[in-house]
Amino acid sequence: MADTCPKCGRTEVDSDTCPGCGVTIATYRAYLEKLRQGPRAAAQRGTTTVAAPPAGEPIVEPLRPAAAVPKSREVFFFGGAGTLLGMQIVNALLTMVTFGIYYFWGKVKVRKYLFSETEFEGDRFEYHGTGKDLYVGAVKATLIFFLPIVLLRVLQQSARDPVVRGTAELGGSLLGLVLVAVAIVGSRRYRLSRTSWRGIRFSFRGRTTDFIKLFVTGSILSLLTLSFYTPVLMARQYAFLTTHAYFGSAKFGFDGNARALLWPYVKFLLLLLPTLGLSTFWYLATQQRYFWNHTTFGEARFRSTVTGGGLLKLQLGNIILLLITLGFAWPWVTLRKIRYRLDHLRLDGPLDLARIEQQAQDAPATGETVASFLDLDLIG
Amino acid sequence: MDWRGAYFDGRTAIRHPVVIRTMRTGLELTFEDGTTAWWPLAETRLAQGRYAGEQVRLERGGDLPAVLVLADPAFLTELHKAAPEWSGKFHDPGRRRLRVRLTVLAAIAVPVLAVAFYAWGIPALAAVSARVVPVTWEEALGEQTAANLAPPARRCVPPAAQRAIDGIVSRLILERPSPYTFRVIVVDDRIVNAFAAPGGYVIVMRGLLERTRSAEELAGVLAHELQHVLQRHSTRLIIQHASTGLLIAALAGDATGAVAYGVQSARVLAELSYNRQFEDEADAHGIAMLRDARIDPRGTIDFFQRLLADEQDQPRPLTYLSTHPAARDRIERLRTLAAAGAGPSRPLLPDVDWNAVRTMCAARRGA
Repeated sequence: MADTCPKCGRTEVDSDTCPGCGVTIATYRAYLEKLRQGPRAAAQRGTTTVAAPPAGEPIVEPLRPAAAVPKSREVFFFGGAGTLLGMQIVNALLTMVTFGIYYFWGKVKVRKYLFSETEFEGDRFEYHGTGKDLYVGAVKATLIFFLPIVLLRVLQQSARDPVVRGTAELGGSLLGLVLVAVAIVGSRRYRLSRTSWRGIRFSFRGRTTDFIKLFVTGSILSLLTLSFYTPVLMARQYAFLTTHAYFGSAKFGFDGNARALLWPYVKFLLLLLPTLGLSTFWYLATQQRYFWNHTTFGEARFRSTVTGGGLLKLQLGNIILLLITLGFAWPWVTLRKIRYRLDHLRLDGPLDLARIEQQAQDAPATGETVASFLDLDLIG
Repeated sequence: MDWRGAYFDGRTAIRHPVVIRTMRTGLELTFEDGTTAWWPLAETRLAQGRYAGEQVRLERGGDLPAVLVLADPAFLTELHKAAPEWSGKFHDPGRRRLRVRLTVLAAIAVPVLAVAFYAWGIPALAAVSARVVPVTWEEALGEQTAANLAPPARRCVPPAAQRAIDGIVSRLILERPSPYTFRVIVVDDRIVNAFAAPGGYVIVMRGLLERTRSAEELAGVLAHELQHVLQRHSTRLIIQHASTGLLIAALAGDATGAVAYGVQSARVLAELSYNRQFEDEADAHGIAMLRDARIDPRGTIDFFQRLLADEQDQPRPLTYLSTHPAARDRIERLRTLAAAGAGPSRPLLPDVDWNAVRTMCAARRGA
């Protein structure tokens, strides 16, 4: 009896187990049938979310339009620390041998791998950036940003006239703020434009100058209000970065505001000294949950379940791992971060992907390299 | 053989189930509604599928291509058999074991190379690049350092004593033309130490000056410090630190570690401490400088021995000996170097009352 393997598509399978991918055909068929019946049947059996796939195996989506039945969707990650470690070693070797030039290509290789092992609704993401993008971006970032800042610093140090010194210092600080703003927006724009899912690219269409204004005035206000303005700035920044993000032709939405964060922020400040700074984790988790829970895509809404305790454990664990291994545990640290983030993120509600069209936008890599020099880790 | 996969047209997010058959020059795609498509291997590229756990992802087109996805890497193995002329373009899962072996070799090569760079490559590179750095840059840096370590208000400047010290310097550099203008500054500070800042600035603390008993003794210290300048040790150290930071970034795969290292470098430089190799160089070249200037090196050795004896009575921080390496070994080595090139010597500054020079800072304090 010649059968077709439901997982890898191999035809002419004669035994109960597929020689290609190793699944037991009958068992895998039953699993697919479970998926096909959807959460209503699952609820009848006493569970409310879609069953997780057997570890390490990609989901094959049932042949049915994804609109209609609302369900809670997860993002899965299949990457392994062993592969990452191997990549890190080869990258180190090639970077040394090329006196540093290969660094950018190595970074891209790792990023491509991490994206290709991230799966949503049965399909993997893809990263389209190139080492050349990052290299050119680094050169541009150095010329356009770092050189003027260094020059202003030198001017500030060596000038005798206090007016000149003061102006140089002010100019340097302002330029620094602008630089951070450009890095945030540029990095978001570049990364989204180089990410695709099911062949459709993401994009970011907010204007850099708008964000610079928002960020610089917000930072100054935070300074003047002894940081009480900060949650407002964070909310406005998140709103800007989210509501101008697109998947194909469909926009992301944000319906939160800063008011809900003001009291938690005050609590965080009050508890800062008594908890020796640990209240930071609690506030960051509160903020992250709030932002994600108010992010929408069409009629679907994200849901985050990160906690302060979870973030603290994650960070502490990472620091300890890196210290005792002198940095060689970096692959495991990376995976821990990714797994934690994805384990606590869900997308609830209907997802109508049929009407989405390709609308890719161009984006240079300059902001991205600046962001990576400043080590800005942008979630989402 | 037929394979089941998914097709994305690059214009919408709809997933089209498709059956794929591998042929000699391309892939034949059959869709659910019976239509077929042909993907020539010449126009197809592999985007994902080189690592365990990845799907096989093929693309055809420009920046926004059509995409073909399969779950099983065995597809690639079959593609290699079915289309051998195109096998170079696509990853062969059979070669993954070879890749693991190569990675293990790389894992051995990395620390070996890193150590080679650190111990030999970087110092050699720094020595070569330092020659290209303009003297004016070094002078600018040195001027700043001198302004910090020897604030004008604390300098001892009686002209006769300064002339005497400058006289020692001129005799030392007589045989050695260099682009530097050497400036020795004496600072009213009881610390027993002397420093060389880049660009030709040498700073001598009163504490050290007062312990010298003759011009020859100070000449030894000055020769050592002048050699730090002539051998461009500060500049080489800066380049070495920057390169080591880059090496760390290369090993870690990330630039942020290098930043932390750079902060540490700034501290080391501020202290103007050199490493062992540079100190040995300064010693060897310093003795040669004394010899060429016909100055008796025994003065230097006597001075260091006296300092060592002092130290043992009363250890003091930040002294000449604590910032310069292993005193006793050093004295032995200096003796050997001095003996090796022994030649006739002429007295240094015979007409100058060294006591007056030694106490030049007393005048400043009005004592």
